[in-house]
Amino acid sequence: MELATFIQTIANSVVAGSIYATVAVGLALAFGVMQMANHAHGEFFMLGAYVVYVFYALGGMPFPFAVLLAIPTIAVIGLLTERLIFRPTRGNVLAGFMATAGLTWILQVAAGRIWGLAFMKKIPTPYMGAATIAGAQIGLQRVIIIPAACILLGLLWFFLYRVKLGKGLRACAQDPEAAALQGISINKMTALAMGIAGAYAGVAGALMAPIHAVTPYMGRDLLITAFIVVIVGGMASIEGAVLAAFLLGFIHTFITTIFDATSGVMVGVAFMAFILIVKPTGLMGRVKA
Amino acid sequence: MKKKKIFGLSVRIPLLLALIVTFSVVSGTTALSAEDTINIGFLAALSGPDAGWGLPGLTGNQIFIDRVNAEGGLLVGGKRYKLKMHAFDDEATGSKALQGARQLVLEHDVKFISAIGGTPADATHPFLTKKKVFYATLISTDIMPDRPYLIGGGDVTPRIDMLRPWYHKFNNPKLKRWAVTSQDETIGRTCQAWEVGSAIAEGWDVVYDKHFSLETTDFAPVVTAILATKPDVVSLNLTWPDFVTLIIEQLYLQGYKGIISANYIDTESVMQKVPIEYMELTKSANSFPLFDDPWWGEQSWQHEFIKEWNAKFGPGAPQDVKRKITGIDWDHVIMLMVWAHGAQLAGSFDPDEILKALRAAPMIPTILGPAVMYGKEMWGIDNMVSPPVPIAEVKADCKCKRIQAHIKFEEWFESRKDTIIKVVKEKGQYFDQRK
Repeated sequence: MELATFIQTIANSVVAGSIYATVAVGLALAFGVMQMANHAHGEFFMLGAYVVYVFYALGGMPFPFAVLLAIPTIAVIGLLTERLIFRPTRGNVLAGFMATAGLTWILQVAAGRIWGLAFMKKIPTPYMGAATIAGAQIGLQRVIIIPAACILLGLLWFFLYRVKLGKGLRACAQDPEAAALQGISINKMTALAMGIAGAYAGVAGALMAPIHAVTPYMGRDLLITAFIVVIVGGMASIEGAVLAAFLLGFIHTFITTIFDATSGVMVGVAFMAFILIVKPTGLMGRVKA
Repeated sequence: MKKKKIFGLSVRIPLLLALIVTFSVVSGTTALSAEDTINIGFLAALSGPDAGWGLPGLTGNQIFIDRVNAEGGLLVGGKRYKLKMHAFDDEATGSKALQGARQLVLEHDVKFISAIGGTPADATHPFLTKKKVFYATLISTDIMPDRPYLIGGGDVTPRIDMLRPWYHKFNNPKLKRWAVTSQDETIGRTCQAWEVGSAIAEGWDVVYDKHFSLETTDFAPVVTAILATKPDVVSLNLTWPDFVTLIIEQLYLQGYKGIISANYIDTESVMQKVPIEYMELTKSANSFPLFDDPWWGEQSWQHEFIKEWNAKFGPGAPQDVKRKITGIDWDHVIMLMVWAHGAQLAGSFDPDEILKALRAAPMIPTILGPAVMYGKEMWGIDNMVSPPVPIAEVKADCKCKRIQAHIKFEEWFESRKDTIIKVVKEKGQYFDQRK
C-alpha cells in the first residue's frame, strides 16, 4: 500500500469509527439500563435522516437547525417506544426484541407511505468539497462528524458520570433492584435511557443524511453494524461500544481497501465471533454477580 | 457532433417510421367493437428496497394500455381486445413472486407479465413455462434455454455495459486503465463479467475488478482502493443508482479527475452531492436517456410520452405520483409493446406463435429503435430483444444528460464475441455455468 493510500485509509477509518460510535452508543445505553435490545434503533436513525430531509431539503431550514430538530423529535419516539413496548414487556428480552422488530416494519412502511419509495431522497450536501488533512482528502460533511461524535460522546460521558440523573442511570444499569431500593424510579430511568437513545440515533441519522442513501430501509444495515459494535464492546458498556466502534472502523476500512468490501463485512462479523469466543462478555463488559 | 451523426441518424429515421407503423397497427384503421379483454400482469417489487425498479414501471405500462384502449383495443387477428393490467407486489422475493405468478395466471389469466427479474425470475419460471405465459425481465441475464417464454432486452443491461468500453476507447484511444466495480450479487457478478470481457476485447488493462457488499454504507474505502490502481476510467457497471451517487461523491471528494462511466446515473441525485461541472468533466457516461432530449426530435414518441406522463402522473395531475419521471417509468413498457407487436404479427396470443413471429421479423419497432431477436451466443436462446443502445453524457449547460451515441449491438458483438465469451467463461458467469 502506497503512503498516500495508507493515510487516506487511516482518515477513512477514523470517520467510519466516529459514525459507528455515534450510532451504537444509544443502543448500548438502552440495553445497559433496560436489559432490552431495541430492534427499531436503525429506524430511529432513519427517522433522524428524514427530519433533515423534511426541514432542510424540502423546507429550506439551515442544516444545523434541522439536525438539532432531530434530537427532540426522535427522543419523543424513543420515549413512546419505552412506554408502549418496553415497559409492558420488561423482563422479557425476547418479547421486547420481537415487538420492536414489528415497530421496525411499521416505521419503514410509514416512511415509505409518507415520503415515497423508489430511489434515495435528494438531500443537497450542505458543505460540499473536501479538506486535505495530512495528504488525505475527506469530505467536509464527513469531517464535521468527527468533532460532532466527540462532542456527543463527551456530553454523554459527562451526563453519566457527573450529573445525578446520569448516575441514577448507571445505578439502574448495574443493579436495578438495588437502585429501586435507593429510591430511584426504574420507570423514569428507562424512559430517560430510551429518550437519550432515540436522541442519539436521531442526531446520528440527521448528521449522516447528506452522506447516506436516505430511504425507508437505510437503518437496516446500520443496525447490524451497531449490534456488532455493542456486542463486541460488551452489551451494556458505553466505553466498550466506543472502543469497538473504532476497532471495527479500522478493521473494516483496511480490509475493504486491501481486499474488497465483501471481505470487509465478513471480517467484521468474524471479529465479533472471535471476541465472543475469547471474551464472551465483550471487550469491556462485566459479568454480573 | 460528428459521432452523433454516425450513430444517431442511421437509426433515428427507421425508429420514427417503426413507431408510426406500430401505432398504426396497434390502433388499426378499421372500427371494430371490443369484445374481449386481455389481462396483463405486473409482477415486481412495489414496496421494499427494490421498489424503485418496479413501482414506476406501472405508469408507462398504463399509458400504453390507455392509448390502446382509447383506440378501441389491440387489433389481433382482425379482432380488437381491450387490455387490463393487474399488479402484484413480489417484494423482490422468490416465494412472493411465485404466489403472485399463480394468482395472476390462475385468477386473471394473464398472457404477459412485466417484471424486474433476478430471484423472482428463477422462482417463477417453472410455473410460467408450464403455463406458457410470457415473463418480460429487465435483466437479460435471466434468459436461459430452459425458459422459452422469458424474454428481455428492452432494458439495455448488460449490452450498455459491454459497449461503454468501446465508446470510451473510441473517444480516447490513448487511455488504457479500466477499473470496474458493482454490488456483490448474482446480476452484478454476471453483468460485470460481460463488461470485463468487453473491456479486454477493446484493449483496456482491467486494473480493478471487484465487488462491494450490499451492506456497504461507507464507500470511502472502496473508492480509495479503486484510486490506488490509478485508473483512467472508473466504471460502476450495474451498481444500483443509490450506490452510484455515493460512489461518485467519493470520487469527487478524493480528487479523481478521469472518466466516470456506469450503467445508469441518476443525474439529479448526483447533482445534490457534486458540482455539475465535475460531472461534465468526468463525462459521467451512462444509458437510460431522458425522453425530453432534443436528440429524439420535436415530433417524437418520446416527447409525447413525457407530455402524457406529466398530464397523468405529474404535479397536480389526477394520479400525481409526487416525483419526476424516471427511466424506469418507460423501461417496462418497451417489452409490453414488443409483446403486443408480436401478437399482432402472429395474429394470435399463442406464445409460441408470437415468439415465432418476432424471431422471423426483420425488424421489431421499439421505443429505443429498431430491434431484432438475438442472444443465442450469450444466453443459449434468441430471446433478447436487441434495440440500439443509447449512450448519454452529463452536460453542465442543461444540468442533464444528453445522448451522444446510439449503437447497434449485434455487429459490434459479432467481431469480438470470442474474446468476450472466453473471459465470461473464465469468470464462471456464462449461462450454462450459472445453473
